[in-house]
Amino acid sequence: MDPILLGQAALNGFLFGGVYSLMAVGLSLIFGVMRVINIAHGDMMVWGSYLAFILAFRLGLDPFVSFVLCAAALFCLGVVVQRGLVNRVLNAPHEMQILLMLGVALVLENLALVVFGPDTRRTESAYGLATVWFGPIFVDVARLITFALALALSCALYLFLFRSDLGKLIRAAADNGYGALVIGADVERIYTVAFGIGAACVGAAGALMSALLPFSPAAGFAQTVTSFNIVIIGGMGSLLGAFLGGLIVAVAESLGAVLLVPSLKELVGFVLLVLILLFRPQGLFGGKTP
Amino acid sequence: MLNRRTFLKATGAAAGAAALGFPAVLRAQPKEIKIGAVHPVTGPLAEIGQACRLGAQMAVEAINAVGGIKSMGGAKLVLLPGDSETKPDVARTVAERLINEGAVMLTGAFHSGHTMAMVPVAQQRRVPFLVDISAADVITLNVAQSVKEGKQKTQYVYRNFPTTTAFGRKAIQFMNEIFKATGTSPKRAVLMYTNDPFGKPQSEGFIKAHKEQGAPFEIVEVIPFPEVPTDLSTEVAKARAAKPDIICPITRAVSATLLLRELAKQRVDILGVISPGAPGLYEKGQIDALGKLIEYTMDNVPWINPLSAKTRKIAEEYAKRSGGKTFDTNSGYSYEAITIMADVLERARSTDPDALVEAIRATNMKDPIMVAGGPVRFNEVGDNANASTAMIQILSQKPLVVHPKESAEAKLVFPAPKFWERG
Repeated sequence: MDPILLGQAALNGFLFGGVYSLMAVGLSLIFGVMRVINIAHGDMMVWGSYLAFILAFRLGLDPFVSFVLCAAALFCLGVVVQRGLVNRVLNAPHEMQILLMLGVALVLENLALVVFGPDTRRTESAYGLATVWFGPIFVDVARLITFALALALSCALYLFLFRSDLGKLIRAAADNGYGALVIGADVERIYTVAFGIGAACVGAAGALMSALLPFSPAAGFAQTVTSFNIVIIGGMGSLLGAFLGGLIVAVAESLGAVLLVPSLKELVGFVLLVLILLFRPQGLFGGKTP
Repeated sequence: MLNRRTFLKATGAAAGAAALGFPAVLRAQPKEIKIGAVHPVTGPLAEIGQACRLGAQMAVEAINAVGGIKSMGGAKLVLLPGDSETKPDVARTVAERLINEGAVMLTGAFHSGHTMAMVPVAQQRRVPFLVDISAADVITLNVAQSVKEGKQKTQYVYRNFPTTTAFGRKAIQFMNEIFKATGTSPKRAVLMYTNDPFGKPQSEGFIKAHKEQGAPFEIVEVIPFPEVPTDLSTEVAKARAAKPDIICPITRAVSATLLLRELAKQRVDILGVISPGAPGLYEKGQIDALGKLIEYTMDNVPWINPLSAKTRKIAEEYAKRSGGKTFDTNSGYSYEAITIMADVLERARSTDPDALVEAIRATNMKDPIMVAGGPVRFNEVGDNANASTAMIQILSQKPLVVHPKESAEAKLVFPAPKFWERG
């Protein structure tokens, strides 16, 4: 096997992994804090992609700039969904929460179908075709920027959770909701903010990914599944796990395309999942709350 | 995917149709003849499906404008359009629905997988199905085989489109002729294909023809990718590592976009992109989206005959009605399927399925609107063996026939300028 090809595939996968990580971090945060499984995660991401597409199309904004606006918009969507819907079922059994979020997913997907039509879109970026060469290995500039931004956003989230008062309260509520209530925290507000941040993460991920890959209204479900796969591999509720899990899955898929038949590459991520469930069911970095 | 709802829908529909089906045969001289056309009008193949539907609709209008089916008292054709949503299971249920709505013949379905899903419906319900576009050999071959073995009584499935075997043969023949004419001799080719019921047999047809007919190049690597792909960077890196002189892609719209962008991005140093026959490489939406990246791409496709006055007239009207799109493989073959059906109805003088099949088998339609080796005739398998291809190339952002010489409307450019030298 050609070592340059392997290196190139690993690098491509690694740089692409940033955006996987960001979407998984969002899912992990929502689950870690509220124990709610956000089935609509991928569809929220697709909406992030479409917003970036509209901003590029109408205002000529590069997705590497407009991701901030997309994240803000998805934050608002997250707040509305949490306030209006999720709050009502927080103490309901899991299956009711799942049904609710499945409903949200269906509404989001079909709304996108009505508004944007079924066609596959991509967001044009000035860096879409740019590459930097190091001998035989090249770095895809769009992927590099995406990775850097995803890393920066994840670090910012980490600092927010561990350094700011609100962040500490979110962690407290995640650790023990009742205890947080006892010490006077406004748990409902904390939940709203946490859901909003989770949605903002996936909104930013959607905007960034729209510059790399084509998307359509139906693409959401696959992204939800990928997000879950990553979060379970990394460890439910662990932010570090979600981040590293994203990189691991992306590199594994990319190497899988080289070492196996490319048609089998999506299998690799799920084989990893099965192995993790068999041998380390709590996930690679599981057992800790964010 | 079969769930309870689709199962109930399908069986309910079948039962209902069985009850309704018999009087339909006894009805004398219908004023309207319904034809069901299933195409992927939404989903990843939407641009193509919409082109097919418009082509078929225009053909129906053209036939009605000159008096409909004269042998049946000037009966008018009515197109029942169906949307497969680019999903095989939907193609099947939509076909059932159109038959229940009174379709006496079916056409479609562009995607070989969708067409295969519709074949059992046509056979079970005894509704002649003239496939307008779909290349996989097995579509007609399987039915012909089971009729031969006595498992089925009559073949209701016919096709007016080249098979993957025909595609492969023409691709190698044209490539050899082009390399000879341009004094080039590519040594290494990488074949990349979409791993679905069209891409896989299409690639096998190409490999088989390469082995049988010979060519100056070796196929050094064969790379399948999933459809719809999310990312082709690793696949292209793999292709690049094989140091190819030409890339032979078998794509669909999404994969074609990803592939050409990655080839440019990774600066793959090749003489050109020559497809053995695939969509995604000539449609207006694709050309608009890819711009100079799709320029010089060659594709061995069934194409409209640019030198036929009749075809040019239809193409002009098509451009008007589609907002400036090209009358191409898809709109053209869907158009032609309807004209063949009209010809069949004219001779059958009835909508009885077996009379229609008899008329289909006796078809000898001269002056087809597509590039062809002769009149439309169906062989023992049910295929039009005269359905052929042409080599087209994107030149100045337009798909033009460049080979064979007798149909060529422009001079081909090969080797093509490198991706990064295109300004």
